[in-house]
Order: sequence, then C-alpha cells, then structure tokens
Amino acid sequence: MRHRATVAAAAILLLGLVAGCGRAVNQAQNATGNAAGAAPKVNFKVGLVTDSGGLNDHGFNHLSDVGLKKAEAELGVQGSVVESKSESDYVPNLQRFAQQGYNLVIAVGFLMDEAVKQVAPQYPNTKFLIIDDPITGINNVTSAMFKTEQCGYLVGAMAGLMEKRTGIPGMNAQNVLGVVGGQKIPPVDSYIAGFIQGVKKTDPDGKVIVKYVNSFTDQAGGSQVAQTEIAGGADIVFQVAGGSGIGVINAAKSAGVYAIGVDADQNYVAPNTVIVSALKGVDTATYDVIRDTLNNQFKSGVQYFDLANNGVGISKPIGVVPSDIVNQVNDLANQIKSGAITVSDQMPQS
Amino acid sequence: MSVLTNPQLWASTLAMTVPLALPAIGGTFSERAGVVNIAMEGIMLIGAFFGVAFSYWTGSPWLGLVLGVLMGGLLAAIFAWAAIRLAADQVVLGMAVNIFASGLTAFLLNTLFGYGGTPPETPSLPFVSLPGLGPVFAHQSVLLYVMLAIVVISHWFLFHTRLGLRIRAVGENPLAADTAGLNVWRLRYIGVIVGGMLSALGGVYLSIGILNSFDVDMTNGRGFIALAAMIFGKWTPVGSFLASLLFGFATALGVALQGQGVSPDLLSMIPYVLTILALAGLVGRSTPPAADGIPYTPIR
Repeated sequence: MRHRATVAAAAILLLGLVAGCGRAVNQAQNATGNAAGAAPKVNFKVGLVTDSGGLNDHGFNHLSDVGLKKAEAELGVQGSVVESKSESDYVPNLQRFAQQGYNLVIAVGFLMDEAVKQVAPQYPNTKFLIIDDPITGINNVTSAMFKTEQCGYLVGAMAGLMEKRTGIPGMNAQNVLGVVGGQKIPPVDSYIAGFIQGVKKTDPDGKVIVKYVNSFTDQAGGSQVAQTEIAGGADIVFQVAGGSGIGVINAAKSAGVYAIGVDADQNYVAPNTVIVSALKGVDTATYDVIRDTLNNQFKSGVQYFDLANNGVGISKPIGVVPSDIVNQVNDLANQIKSGAITVSDQMPQS
Repeated sequence: MSVLTNPQLWASTLAMTVPLALPAIGGTFSERAGVVNIAMEGIMLIGAFFGVAFSYWTGSPWLGLVLGVLMGGLLAAIFAWAAIRLAADQVVLGMAVNIFASGLTAFLLNTLFGYGGTPPETPSLPFVSLPGLGPVFAHQSVLLYVMLAIVVISHWFLFHTRLGLRIRAVGENPLAADTAGLNVWRLRYIGVIVGGMLSALGGVYLSIGILNSFDVDMTNGRGFIALAAMIFGKWTPVGSFLASLLFGFATALGVALQGQGVSPDLLSMIPYVLTILALAGLVGRSTPPAADGIPYTPIR
C-alpha cells in the first residue's frame, strides 16, 4: 500500500517536472495560424535557443524572439523556440534543432560561444547565427555584434547634460550617476564603457558609480544595488542587468529618481521613471539574418550593427528631458555616424 | 571606514536579512518536528509568484500576501504528506519540490502574464518609516517588522508553549512521544506546514514586499542560504535570525565595497565563504534534532 502510494507520488512529481522543464514552445502553428494576412508558409525552419536568461529577460532573448515572430508573420518561415535552463543545455539544444534538419539555428548570447563552435562544424547543412559573440572561420556560422558602446555613449551624454542642468524635478544637487551591471562580461561592459565616455563628454566632473549584481535574474539584488547608488547621490541610474534590472528601475521609481533602460524600450516598466532606453536591435538583426538566409544570401563571419545602420539606437526620451538636450544628443549621434567621434568598447582604467 | 558608517549599508543589511531569516525560521520549524526540509527555495518561489499574481488580480497586496502564504502552505502540505505519510526520502523530495516550483512558476508566469512579465501597475506592500530611528529605518518594507515579530513569537512558541515542546519532542524522539500519547504525524504536519508558510512569506517579501514583480527563479538561491543560516543558528529562531543578519550584512558589504578596486566576483563570494567558515566549526558544534530526517511509523 505504502509502496504503491510512493510510486504514485513520484509519478505526480515527475509529471510536474516534465510540464515545468520541457518548456519547448512550438510556435510554428500558433504564429502562422493566427496571424491574419500572414505570408504563405515556406518550407524553411528556424530554431531559436535562448541562453539561461530565458524569454522573459525583458532584453535580448526576448528581442530575438520578437524578430523570429516577425519573420514567421512576414516571411512565412516556421519558427521554434527552446529555452535553456542552464549552461549544460546549450549543446543538446543546438544539436536537437540541427539534427532535425533546421535550416537556421539561432544561438542567443555570448555565453553560447563554445557550444556553437562545437556543434556547427558537425552540421554543415544547417546555418547558425550567434548573437553578441564574434566567431570567424566557420563557413556556416554568422555572428551579429552590436556596437552598444555607441548607444551607451548617447544615454551617458544625455544623463550628463541632465546632471548639469538645474531645475529638473527629482534631480539632486550632487553630480553623481549610477550604473548597475548584471555581470562583468563584455556585452555588459561595452554599454557601461560607452556610458562613461558619454558622461565624460558632456559632464567631465560627473562621478559615475558602477556596481554589479552578479546575476541577471535577481530583482531584489538589483534593487539593493541601485538603492546603494542612490544613497550615494545618484539621481539617474543606468541598468545593464537583464531581469535584475527590473529591480533597479523599481528602486529608482520608489526613490523618486530616474532610470535608463537597456536593450528594449523599457519605459513601460515605469513610465515616469525611465527617461530613455539604450536600444540594441537584436530583433532587427535576427529578422535580417533569417531573411538573408532564406534568400540564399547567408554571409559567414561577423556582421556589425551600429548607429549608422540602425542596429543600435536610443528610444524617444520622455518629456522631462529638455528638448535642447535631446537635440544635443542627436547631434552627437550624427557625429558618431559620420566617424567624427569614435567610442571605445573598453572600460576606462580607473 | 566610511563604508561602515554609511547608513545605507545597514539599511541594506536589514532589507537583505528578511528573505533569509523567514525561510530559515521556517526550516527550523520543519526540522524541529523531525522533517528535513531543503524545499525552502521552491516554496519561496511559489509564495513570490502567487503573492504578486493575487495582488494584481485582487488589487490588494494584503490579499496577495495571505494567498501567497497559503499557496506556500499548500505545497508544504503536499511535501509533508509525501515525507510523513509515505515516508519518502526527504532530501530527494525537497529537491523535487524545488525543481517543480521553479518550472511551475516559470510556466504560469509565461502562460498567465506573457513574456513581458507581471504588470507594472501591480500594487505592493507599503514601506514603513519609523520616525526617530534615522535613515536605517527610513525606507523598509512592513514585512521587516513582521519578521522581527515572528522571530520573537517563534522563539516563545517553540520553547515556551506546550505545543512547541511537543513539536520538538517528535523531532527528538518520536517513539517516546508516541508512547506518551502524542500524535506524531499530526505534530510533524504542523511543523512542516507552518514552516512552509514562513518560507512563502519570505518569497512574498521578494515579490511584493520590496518590488512589485515576479521573475523566473528570482529567489536566486536564497532558500539554500537560509538552510545554512538555520544550521548556523543551531535550529533556533533567534539563532537563524542572527545568522541571516550576518549573511545579509555580508551581501550588503559586498555591494558597498564594489568599485573600490576589488573584483565584484570576489566580493560576491563573501556570504558563501562565511557559510563555509561558519559550518566548519567557528560556531561550535551544531547538532540537529535527533530524529531529523527519519520517517516514523506509529506503533498502533
């Protein structure tokens, strides 16, 4: 009796595990079936593998999925997404799509570098796209790199100009800005490096406090780090911390100061707090590579997305940012596009 | 040492103590009754998710709190049934609950709220500032004060009431307790379920106490740190609280010291190094309840 009940309990828990972990979302039917006026289906399959941040990272995994959905609706490709729960899932998840004969497999994130280098050569008939990581020398791999130091520079310049201006509600008298990073890795630090250079340009005396949460999924931690910076005088906080960043925006909102969003336009999180967002066009890049691959124009090697080709940018600032500041920032954007200003992706030595 | 005199450090310490102390005391209840509970992480996630979900659906963060805690109690009850009635291995079971809760909350978040996450207009529990106590208490969640009350009440309950004595008795020597006429299973159920509700309250603190949103795995391992705090605190509510305070301080100090020339990766290790040092005997022997983790079959 007891034995049978134990087996039953184990079975129930196992079912839960399967339901919980097997979060492979086959969106092919959904997207193409529901979208009114969708493009005719073509026999072209695209698999998307997220990194451990998952689809609800409010950032680049999410944006990549947005790009895939757009391609499903407009190009008629069949998309499928699998979320990685941990780093050990990367190789099997990539292999799964490649083995099933997918035409294009998208690996989202710097963290999948080794996995792609290992899997791609085994499946020469499948094309691979990796976001945020430069891989060269493998014929069926293309890399999308984003010059996020450029959009980081622009929001930094804007924040610096705001600091120097007096009379903006919510701003204190101290010339201090905050940055909250997720982890100290290149795709995060390129944003921060740009931000610091932008502040230096418009507000040379401004002090920038940089701290890391050491997690992309710890909202409470993000909130604490932001509160520490706000207590140190920061009245604009730039978050580059994925899911943890939602906690940063929350802390800024509850302290009555301002935040700057990252990757996607995050104004929706706190409309009166997020003054602007540094945008990374992962959605556009994903869509473009799918389109090019579909049209047999796949290019291996590294493709750069920057301000000049609208691969990165900034969102429309909210009303609290004076319009002359917005104009000055737009002017700086043009100087970066023309090459008059170059922005480094390396953190300044402190 | 301007770092140590900065009130923000101490405010952060207190804020980071709450989500450790509540599950640590919750674990204490469970283990004092003789059931090893490593499921705090999972139960916290359930509390965090349902706290935010019901806060949004009902418009009342207090209802969110109550229902989040009840859902945590429900999961703890299922865990207790398998651990007590079915005599399943409690460590395996606890791990299963953790993985189950992580998957379930991720699934529910994406199904009910979509990838945009929980709505930003979700109401959260109020912050309370105690006048006269300075900036450390200027912006703390109401649950900080609830937690402090729970520390005192739990201590009184476990060590100064008849029911508390009985719960401890079934964790030390269930056969003797049974012989004396106590219902071992019922007392163990009480310990596990009350413990689960306290852990869930820790989760509620994370989601609607200091924020108003839920994200996948947002507990970020705090349930396991709480486990260490419980052992460090020698299976007592006050000890668990003091150990959590130390871990909370280590976390806050790690944040405060960043940007002073030390790698953030090294600083983030401080709480874990403290855990190892603590468990390696700095606090003297830490003896668990004698019957902790051993299922009991009543003599009738």
